[in-house]
Amino acid sequence: MPSADVVVIGAGLAGLTAAIELAERGATVQLVAKGMAATHWAHGGIDVAAPVGARSPANGVSRLRARAGHPYAILEPDLGAALAGTLACLADGGLAYRGDLRAPLRPFPTPIGGLRPAAIVPAGQAPALEPWAPGEGLLLLGIERFRDFWPQYAARNLARRAWARGPSRIASAVAALPGIGGLHNLNSLVLARRFDDPSWRAEAIAALRAAIPGDGPWRVGVPAVLGMERHAEVLAEVTEAIAHPVFEIPTLPPSIPGLRLFDVLRARAGAVGVRTQVGFEVAEVERDGDTVTAIATRTAARPLRIMARDVVLATGGIGGGGLRGRRDGSLEERVFGLPLAAPARAEWLRGDLYGANGVALESAGIRVDDELRPIGPRGEVVLRNVRVAGSALAGMRYLVERCGDGVALASAYRAARLIAGAADAARTAVAS
Amino acid sequence: MTDVDVVVVGGGATGSGILRDLAMRGLRVLLVERADFGSGTSGRYHGLLHSGGRYVVSDPVSARDCARENAVLQRIAPHCLELTGGYFVATPDDPDDYVSGFPAACADAGVRTDEVPLRELFAAEPLLNRRIRAAYAVRDASMEPWELIDANRASAREHGSDAWRYQALVGVERGPEGSVRGVRLEDRRTGEQRAVSCQVIVNAAGAWAGQVAALAGATLRMSPGKGSMLIMNRRLTSAVVNRLARPGDGDIIVPVHTVSILGTTDVSVEDPDEVEVTAGEVDALLADGDRLVPGLSSARVLRSYAGCRPLYKASEMGARDTEAQRAEAQHAESREISRAHHVIDHGARDGVPGLFSIVGGKLTTYRLMAEQTSDRVCASLGIEAPCRTADEPLPAPPGARPYWLGGRLAAVEADGGGDADLVCECEIVTGSLLRHALDERPDSSLDDLRRSTRLGMGPCQGAFCTCRAAALLAERADAGQRPPEAPEPNDSLRAFLAERLRGAAPIAWGDQLMELWLEAGVYRGTMAVETLPAGKRTASTDAIS
Repeated sequence: MPSADVVVIGAGLAGLTAAIELAERGATVQLVAKGMAATHWAHGGIDVAAPVGARSPANGVSRLRARAGHPYAILEPDLGAALAGTLACLADGGLAYRGDLRAPLRPFPTPIGGLRPAAIVPAGQAPALEPWAPGEGLLLLGIERFRDFWPQYAARNLARRAWARGPSRIASAVAALPGIGGLHNLNSLVLARRFDDPSWRAEAIAALRAAIPGDGPWRVGVPAVLGMERHAEVLAEVTEAIAHPVFEIPTLPPSIPGLRLFDVLRARAGAVGVRTQVGFEVAEVERDGDTVTAIATRTAARPLRIMARDVVLATGGIGGGGLRGRRDGSLEERVFGLPLAAPARAEWLRGDLYGANGVALESAGIRVDDELRPIGPRGEVVLRNVRVAGSALAGMRYLVERCGDGVALASAYRAARLIAGAADAARTAVAS
Repeated sequence: MTDVDVVVVGGGATGSGILRDLAMRGLRVLLVERADFGSGTSGRYHGLLHSGGRYVVSDPVSARDCARENAVLQRIAPHCLELTGGYFVATPDDPDDYVSGFPAACADAGVRTDEVPLRELFAAEPLLNRRIRAAYAVRDASMEPWELIDANRASAREHGSDAWRYQALVGVERGPEGSVRGVRLEDRRTGEQRAVSCQVIVNAAGAWAGQVAALAGATLRMSPGKGSMLIMNRRLTSAVVNRLARPGDGDIIVPVHTVSILGTTDVSVEDPDEVEVTAGEVDALLADGDRLVPGLSSARVLRSYAGCRPLYKASEMGARDTEAQRAEAQHAESREISRAHHVIDHGARDGVPGLFSIVGGKLTTYRLMAEQTSDRVCASLGIEAPCRTADEPLPAPPGARPYWLGGRLAAVEADGGGDADLVCECEIVTGSLLRHALDERPDSSLDDLRRSTRLGMGPCQGAFCTCRAAALLAERADAGQRPPEAPEPNDSLRAFLAERLRGAAPIAWGDQLMELWLEAGVYRGTMAVETLPAGKRTASTDAIS
């Protein structure tokens, strides 16, 4: 029977970074996930904290950690190291990010012409956050027949709204890229893979350049499709050829920046020895009192049972599938059936799901102690060797506070640090 | 001032049928609808073209009407139908006497049925409850209300009559003898008022008929019956399946396009705009659905919705009712009230000559209702032209045939790429389909486009197509192709998301709750929809349901 020091459940930002951190600290790690993660839906930036009025991620965190029950109340001390470690790991993997906790939160234009606050983004998105020079215009440059980027709609909305210290003017244009006339229902994945091909890319970049109106200076926003595996190369070529600063705007799923992030982290996990099994849900759990001793996933042939000393639960919230609403109005934690903090069914959607304040159910999740172990209603630890990381944690509204990625990184790092630290302490005790 | 012979109030199937019928008889008619065509009860039913079997025991008059009209519609509107066929099945919970009496009751009412061997039933419908003990095949079909209404309007246009949407009736002009002389309308998007003169008003406002009658000084006590339905995420059966019992909750499954509709509750309500689906109704529908398809309640529910039946108590006497009689009428349970329809001449009854109301009835019999109403209107105007709506087919696109599941896909494949690219994958709505719908009605909101194209009605409930379609509205607005009363793209986008959410809220659990979270993640997390500027007007057509 396979065994590992630690089983990490979930392959999103929290699960992958926890697995990497643990493996780098010497643990044997088995990562299991039922599928691809919410990274494929998200914009690929690192949202640490941007509650209303926050000036920087650090400033946002200091506001959020003051809120009773917010994960940052526990996690704030780990955030700096967690973020630095992950950004270094991404840069090593060829996916450089810009920004840090002290970077100012600035408005980032969206494909429909909204503005969202951002500070830590992939290098390909970073030019959007530079201060706008006098006279500098924003050009939204779309791709003909690509359904999921709307330069004209975005320009219309961005031009009709207040944007303090924003561009001097806003315009849109569309480029016809070569050889895609025969393709149906172009999505971002198809285009990104095309950009990986150097010969096609040369023509495509020429077409992009030709579509830019002459009355610059512009800063050019294009859909986030500039290559998948060879993104850095594509980005450098596009930037050089176009002679204006260029940035990618993430759009409808599948999210290319999210996929790149996932790919780099997964490759790193493999490189540091994490064994990964994606596509299988945890079907059984074995416990001894308040300790989990093994989990089993159902494979096609037979259950695969994995013994472990520690578990990191990083299965996500409602969107990621770690928590599931039931018809009877209860909310269920899918792997261990952990107790949850959740509003009553009638309150779930109170608020505005598409508005700035979201709905009540968004703050539901698993309550934990300082060591990220799940606790029950009276504060008692429910499972001693399970640590919870990521969006399954109670007490945050990651879409309102734009804090989901920061909480994922900090909780993963803390879980890994505590598990590895306890193992070190045990070894030291044996040695002495 | 516009001058017509007849103003029809209400743009559902009945009103549209009357518009067509009177126009074909040579009258100048104007239909006015307070919201979008087919956005009331006609657009909020289960999609069933009745064979009549449903009513053979409880209401044989309605059953006979249904059977006759079913045959008529198969002839005049085949492109609005999917000829699914239907079954009446006896589950173990259905009463023996109802089951045994059903064939004879069908024969009496002229509803054709054939007993189906259970082996054949289960071969055709493998998900049905294996404890079903008897089954009868009937000529049920599923019917697309919006195409039907469009076709009636198109026919009326050919005969010189028009229909206006988003026009609320706000007043009725009457002459010295109390007779009808005209109407005052208010555009619900711009607030502008206008007057239309006419000799006759036909009140085809269905569940809202009481409100329309009151504006004309007549009394009409409707007893709206809310019916709630659930949309299951795929076809659970390929034919309509009804239970062999008196109409009750959760007694029918109708395959409609790519999904199945599970219906229907019946709750008496005061206000026909009160169409929220309650948790109790959802539970009742799923529990009863399990009797037809075991395990149905754990399948994915996409959405819930409700409509209000235009029920009316035939014994109701109008203005001369005593308070006691009215109180009694109010207490009656709506399902016990006849589904048959009634044409009411308010001349003698309420002293409002020239006002006619058509109440009761059901979508299957809309044409018959229109015919009988039009007969009375023509008699009052001394017009002898006969009704021709049962004989002359409704206008249909070239090469139209009854709906089949692969129809849209085949059309897209025939067209190739380019503008045939999909905007809504779930319902195979292409860019060209949307552009065509906007050419026809350039003022459309996204919800209006949904009714004309099925945009956003599939499993993802608008997660992907909403911003794509809103971007198309924005392009049109920039090109000056949107009339001033058309809603702003951002208002329309927000209203569409809100309306999709309204239907999802009562069934927000499991996969569909997850879907909502993913959608919120995209629209807020990536798109920052909450920061879009508001449209230039505060009032939006989408806010009008």
